[in-house]
Amino acid sequence: MKKTQQILTLVLSLGFIAVFAAWFWILPDADESTVERRHLAKCPTLSFSSVANGSFVNGFENYMLDQFPLRDGFRTLKAAANAKVFMQKDNNGLYSVGEHLSKLDFPTDFDSVDRAAQRFRYVYDAYLRNSGTKTYLSVIPDKNVFIASPNGYPDKDYKAIVKRLENGFPEARHIDISGLLSADDFYYTDSHWRQERILKVADEIADKMGTERMGKCEKHDAGVSFYGVYYGQAALPHAPERLFYLDNAVIRSLKVYNAETSSDIPVYDLSAAAGRDPYEMFLGGARSIIRITNPNAAKERRLIVFRDSFGSSIAPLLTAGYSEITLVDIRYISPSSLGKQIDFTKTDDALFLYSASVINNSETIK
Amino acid sequence: MLFSSITFLYCFLPCVLLVYFVVPDRMKNLVLLLASLFFYGWGEPKYLVFMFAAVAQSYIAALLAERFRGTKIAKLALAVSAVASLGLLAYCKYADFFIGNFNAVTGLSIPLLKVALPVGISFYTFQILSYVIDVYRGDVPAQRNFVDLAMYVAMFPQLIAGPIVRYSDIAGSLKNRKTTLADAAEGITRFSVGFAKKILLANSAALLVSEFKAYGEKTVLFYWLYAAAYMLHIYFDFSGYSDMAIGLGRIFGFRFSENFNYPYVSASITEFWRRWHISLGGWFRDYLYIPLGGNRVKPIRHVFNILVVWAATGFWHGASWNFIFWGLLYAVLLLFEKYILHPKRRHAVPMHIYTMLFVVLGFVLFDSTSIADAFMSFKSLFGLAGIPAANTASLYYLKSNLILLIIAALGATPLPKRIYEKIGGTSGGSRVLAVLTPIATVASIAVCTAYLIDGSFNPFVYFRF
Repeated sequence: MKKTQQILTLVLSLGFIAVFAAWFWILPDADESTVERRHLAKCPTLSFSSVANGSFVNGFENYMLDQFPLRDGFRTLKAAANAKVFMQKDNNGLYSVGEHLSKLDFPTDFDSVDRAAQRFRYVYDAYLRNSGTKTYLSVIPDKNVFIASPNGYPDKDYKAIVKRLENGFPEARHIDISGLLSADDFYYTDSHWRQERILKVADEIADKMGTERMGKCEKHDAGVSFYGVYYGQAALPHAPERLFYLDNAVIRSLKVYNAETSSDIPVYDLSAAAGRDPYEMFLGGARSIIRITNPNAAKERRLIVFRDSFGSSIAPLLTAGYSEITLVDIRYISPSSLGKQIDFTKTDDALFLYSASVINNSETIK
Repeated sequence: MLFSSITFLYCFLPCVLLVYFVVPDRMKNLVLLLASLFFYGWGEPKYLVFMFAAVAQSYIAALLAERFRGTKIAKLALAVSAVASLGLLAYCKYADFFIGNFNAVTGLSIPLLKVALPVGISFYTFQILSYVIDVYRGDVPAQRNFVDLAMYVAMFPQLIAGPIVRYSDIAGSLKNRKTTLADAAEGITRFSVGFAKKILLANSAALLVSEFKAYGEKTVLFYWLYAAAYMLHIYFDFSGYSDMAIGLGRIFGFRFSENFNYPYVSASITEFWRRWHISLGGWFRDYLYIPLGGNRVKPIRHVFNILVVWAATGFWHGASWNFIFWGLLYAVLLLFEKYILHPKRRHAVPMHIYTMLFVVLGFVLFDSTSIADAFMSFKSLFGLAGIPAANTASLYYLKSNLILLIIAALGATPLPKRIYEKIGGTSGGSRVLAVLTPIATVASIAVCTAYLIDGSFNPFVYFRF
């Protein structure tokens, strides 16, 4: 090694380390990462016990990783190296097909499907079996169903999941919506479906439940650039999307009550659209119990929807034929306590509406 | 603390370098010792007590062995030190293995001790043993300065995963050493090479291994992918760590011996073990195999010696039967080559295939949770377990990891080094490399930093040994 090469090596390498080390200590700590949608670790408290039990060390390592200068840029560098140098087809499980980003979700976990069926049957046996309620089941094919297998990516077996769930929960009548959807009905950078594209699904469900369709809606732009949850995880550049919502006289008249906070909330919260998770603009996002009242319903008819986050955007489109819809997310509330908060004797219809992804990873269902 | 961590690279290392090169020469060993204790105590401070006890007993034993050389007291000092060193290792690493097997044989249910294994204890125990034995033999003088001896044992670049540095190799450097500009530049370059091997190749291969283990529907293809990935993972993990250790040692003025010499180009198992974990092989050769008589004994005794040494080598890697059988597998292969096969260079290609086949099967055994698990893996690899040849998932993992595996496989050969040397051998090429090498060094550090920040898989395999 020549002397100039030696000097250049030391100046560049040690300089790089020294600059980033100094930058890390000088840089004020950030509270959260917008693109990753999470709070960033803070410097742990130094004490004898925290050092002895290892919590300080673990906390400090996480703190350095989270607060490192140019963190997002480094994550992009890693994702680019992974894709362009090693030509790996996914980065931390995230892959892209055309404009679509998605997360690998395989193999099919039949134990998980059975568990979901068992939890649904528990709800049915406890509250619905003797109340004369008609019960329906629909499994939303997530984006992977449309883009994974055709492009060589492994995926869970959607059809097998539906069949297994139907067999495990025979009391519910299955509503097949898989033929109505395609990849473009989902956001490019998010797992969820686009509300402006699922009116056909809501109509199909309404038809199968023997109730009124929503009818024509106006499409509105929420006025924000939408980056979905996969955008931050993928750490690669991607164009933003528009976030649209559907509206008409029926939807505008709806009253929404959040049982968690005992307060009224809007159907579409446009301020949430500009927040950390824009999809929360639909009925406030993840909530355990939401009650929607339709004062203009032609007759009294009540529906309970057991749902995951996909249910937030479709629920307003199901309201035309019902005077009241209750949305229940049993990932956030134990089914055993539902009887205290919901009068099941007045329920005409019950719909279990879950994405295949949640059914295949049902450990979140209580 | 891990070398391959942001905390090490951007907190610990800059501080240590700054202080080390500012203080006068007489303080440098003390600075390195304190830094090493901090490095070791980070995360597991209680194990500093074990290390201090090990250093203290070896310090006294070596002084006694030297002072009373040729007498029973020297022998006693050596014996007590060896029992203390091996006893500590046995207690921490092997107690539950012996209790478990005793329970299995007798039907008793003596409770396991469940002692957590202090990081790096297998490495520093062997360093201490070699030091006391060398002093006892009169090969090296005993170290009178406790700080210097403690620094030799605790020196952070090689503390937790080797290479196993002999005291005799660095005794001179402990007393008197200088870091030249060339040392520092070549040290940081070597460190960056090891860093890239560990973060970019070993960790990526390890992800494939963990995906294989997590995935329920195995296929023959997936088993081979796993076996290849594990083989590459363990090589780049360990040799990457050794590169980092050698590079850091160089920065501080030490010259550690090489620990790997492209083992996967070997054309026999004998050659493989001359190229793989050289410091461990050398240790067992000098402190166990030769004292047993080596090969200058009757064939039956030689067979016995080989079996003992390789069972011990396997057992050193872990307190489990699969490690012992892994060592014995090599004993059988080495004896087969010595007495029957007589490997010849002209049969290089078939010999290389034979060697790699047994190396890969050996590592499958090494990574198994039980002997039954290993046999299941062997059957699966050869399509005898009734599993499909391939499925969507295994084809996906093949496509997704093909470039990684090719890069890693080529990187495990001397080819990149030869190309580098060939380019550097021309005047134009050497001028290009004079610019490209520093840029590649800093680029390697930057990309590895990016991989660390993304929070991927990172533990060193050899930590547990």
